[in-house]
Amino acid sequence: MMTGVGATMVRAGRRLLSSLPALFGVLVFTFLLMRVLPGDPAVFFASGPNAGKEEIELIRKQMGLNKSVPEQLVFYLSDIGHGNLGRSMMTGQPVLKDLRERLPASLELTFTALMIALIAAVPLGVVAALRPGSIVDHGVRLFCALGVCVPTFVSGLLLIYVFYYLLGLAPDPTGRIDVFTSLPPQHTGFLSIDFLLAGDIDGWWAACKQLILPAVSMALFVIAPLARITRASMLVSLGSDFVRTARSVGLSWHKVVVTYALRNAILPVITIAGIVFSTMLGANVLVEKVFSWPGVASYALDALLSSDYAPVQGFVLLMAGIFVLVNLIVDVCYGIADPRVSIE
Amino acid sequence: MRFVSFRPASCVLATTALLLIATAPLKAQTRAETLRYVTGASVNTLDPNIPGATRESFGLSMSTYDRLVSFGRKQLNGKWVFDLDTITGELADSYDVSPDRLKIMFHLRKDAKFQDGSPVTAEDVKWSLDRCVTAPILGKAQLLTGSLTSADQFKVIDPLTVEVTLPKPDKLALPNLATVYPIIINSKVAKEHATPDDPWATAWLKEHTAGSGAYVVETFKPGEQVILKRDEAWNRGSANKPAFFKRVIVQSVPEPATRANLVERGDADLVLDLQASDVQSLEAKGKLKVISTPQYNAITFVSMNNQIPPFDNVNVRRAIAFALPYDDMFKAALFGRGAPLFGATWADGMPANGIYPFQAPVKIDLDKAREYLKAAGLPEGFSTTFSFNVGQASTAEPMAALVKESLGKIGIKVDIQKLPDAQMSTQINEKKLPFFTEGIVAWLPSTDYFYRNFYTGNQRWNYSSINNSELAAIAQEARFEPDKAKYEEDGRKLNAIHFSEMPQIPLWQPNQDAVMAASIEGYTYEFHRQLDYRDISRK
Repeated sequence: MMTGVGATMVRAGRRLLSSLPALFGVLVFTFLLMRVLPGDPAVFFASGPNAGKEEIELIRKQMGLNKSVPEQLVFYLSDIGHGNLGRSMMTGQPVLKDLRERLPASLELTFTALMIALIAAVPLGVVAALRPGSIVDHGVRLFCALGVCVPTFVSGLLLIYVFYYLLGLAPDPTGRIDVFTSLPPQHTGFLSIDFLLAGDIDGWWAACKQLILPAVSMALFVIAPLARITRASMLVSLGSDFVRTARSVGLSWHKVVVTYALRNAILPVITIAGIVFSTMLGANVLVEKVFSWPGVASYALDALLSSDYAPVQGFVLLMAGIFVLVNLIVDVCYGIADPRVSIE
Repeated sequence: MRFVSFRPASCVLATTALLLIATAPLKAQTRAETLRYVTGASVNTLDPNIPGATRESFGLSMSTYDRLVSFGRKQLNGKWVFDLDTITGELADSYDVSPDRLKIMFHLRKDAKFQDGSPVTAEDVKWSLDRCVTAPILGKAQLLTGSLTSADQFKVIDPLTVEVTLPKPDKLALPNLATVYPIIINSKVAKEHATPDDPWATAWLKEHTAGSGAYVVETFKPGEQVILKRDEAWNRGSANKPAFFKRVIVQSVPEPATRANLVERGDADLVLDLQASDVQSLEAKGKLKVISTPQYNAITFVSMNNQIPPFDNVNVRRAIAFALPYDDMFKAALFGRGAPLFGATWADGMPANGIYPFQAPVKIDLDKAREYLKAAGLPEGFSTTFSFNVGQASTAEPMAALVKESLGKIGIKVDIQKLPDAQMSTQINEKKLPFFTEGIVAWLPSTDYFYRNFYTGNQRWNYSSINNSELAAIAQEARFEPDKAKYEEDGRKLNAIHFSEMPQIPLWQPNQDAVMAASIEGYTYEFHRQLDYRDISRK
């Protein structure tokens, strides 16, 4: 299989190179977009009870807005080249530091949500595909429709209302960890992993409890596309020749459905899961807001509302980068799931 | 709707519940000694002087730093509020004002120590005040309002005495030293972190504290939370002992519904920024303590730009003032939680006193409004836009709808504009909005201060762009008026001009609704409209 792996690697490298121009485009476009949006951030931030012209000018200088736009762009690009994404006016921290601290929170939440979604969606899709048109199939369809129809923040608030407010089962929905729990030493930034590394089981459980509700409200929303795609590709694969052959030679039901049909049907699910992941990471600002989750999406929204340029630009760049990376990973997974893809 | 079996989870839940019960007494004890305060916005700097500092940062700095003096408190309609007229010592043991009122001598406490254990000296006070009037920070513009403008005005007499010299007697000099900005910093520590470009260590102080306040910053996560630990040696409180709570957690929870849930379930101890509807329902349930104080140093108003036609015509402004459905707006926006500034009766058509903000004799009277429109030469009405910012949407949106409907009845067609906050402040700064709603706050709410800051000059805070020479002259004169009776008379004149010119229509003073656990005591409405953690205790 060496050649297969090698070919996959070469393809991945080529993909990566060809995505650089796109990333550069995103960079420049976001920069310009932020500057044509109405609203002068300097005026907004100079909102103390006595802020005058002097203070507005001062902030403008701090943000580098006292230069012409082309000049600003050149400075910005050279800063990016040096790995400096600028400073956020809101938090007063370098954007890179903010993103580095907040990205693990978003990733942990999104990964967990995607796992929950996949664990729920794939079996649902398979069950629906095995009995198309049956009551089970309709039940799955209804459940998916409900999940998609209810906006994430509504389901989030509902979950909080039931599990925290009424039943008191869930911990208070404020961030990644109960404020009275001391944090483990940081290795990965994923609290659940860091607690395990520190051998702190109580802490690990506290972190997991905080994670369940937001992850479930996120997952509910994406179960539908994943389950639908699983069902559709399962139907195709169950109707194909090789499955019929496998059945006719008397292989066990389990082997037929899982090994033959599902392995072939899973490809489109992987693709969709990749896209869903990237989307979730940026688009779940509402879940982050509802649960006071200190992630990158809520950070970017706050920045956008207060015309804080640097964080928004940094966030878009990060998202573009992640999107490229996820596509790569999906590609590689494809190669593993279906060796034919790597044959040029 | 079970798509994942929760059985293993519930087993684990049960075991942890048992574990929790086993450790409960220990936890509960520390919980009782901890104040958990949740806010919508967040602390973004540890030095309140940094441009862009949030109100939460102001509130925090009151407890992490001391100032020379602080405001006392008084009862207003049975609720504790800050008292502008009582200035008590904080780091100053006492102060003397010279007979000509040009010199203030501060005698420092002998026992005051910074959080690193070093004594607070006159040198530190001088360095801190110098920084406030010299460095490019927020304190500069504030202290200006008290005639404090240059480092030459602060003189070290001996290690425990500082003298402040004024160019002329200014009532606001002393109160200014009790505001948020003139924090007293450990100058030795700060100087260690100063650089040639940043001689006042603003960059370092943004993320570190070097003060003598009641609380030490344990962890600071900008945008998320700050955890404070009590400084056991601090004794500048009212009773000369440390603050009550051992720990304070200031946590940012953006969703107002969640903040309401937290305080109701007892997970948070105190919240100041809930939606009016949530406050009402929590008050009705009666489990929590709700203290509503009209923000007597704040005003919500409808402003017209007095330079943009047709609002440059005073009769148009008066027409608007008599066409607003005040009572409905007050109910829709605030559920009536506040103090109205409309519907007064002036016996002889003159203001009753010289206090600003005043309750104006306006109420809805559409016939009167039509007459004013006729007098302005616009009997058919006109079209305009009414703007508010997204940040105020929960109160301004219902209000705007009512304004639109009511003005429609007298032929004024209103288009509602909802602007992002940054855009709104830009438009206001450029004086481009004809007709909008906003709110103002004065930390030092004296009549002349309001008029000078919000109704004169071509500055951002002159929302109505009013340019009235008589008003400006009286306000300037009143600033240095030593005679109380004369000052009161000036105030009455100013209020009379305000009402006849109608640059803006004051609506109300919204309540600050503090919702807290029943065990919490000592809440005071402060000038910075945030919580002073040092006031609070648990019974």
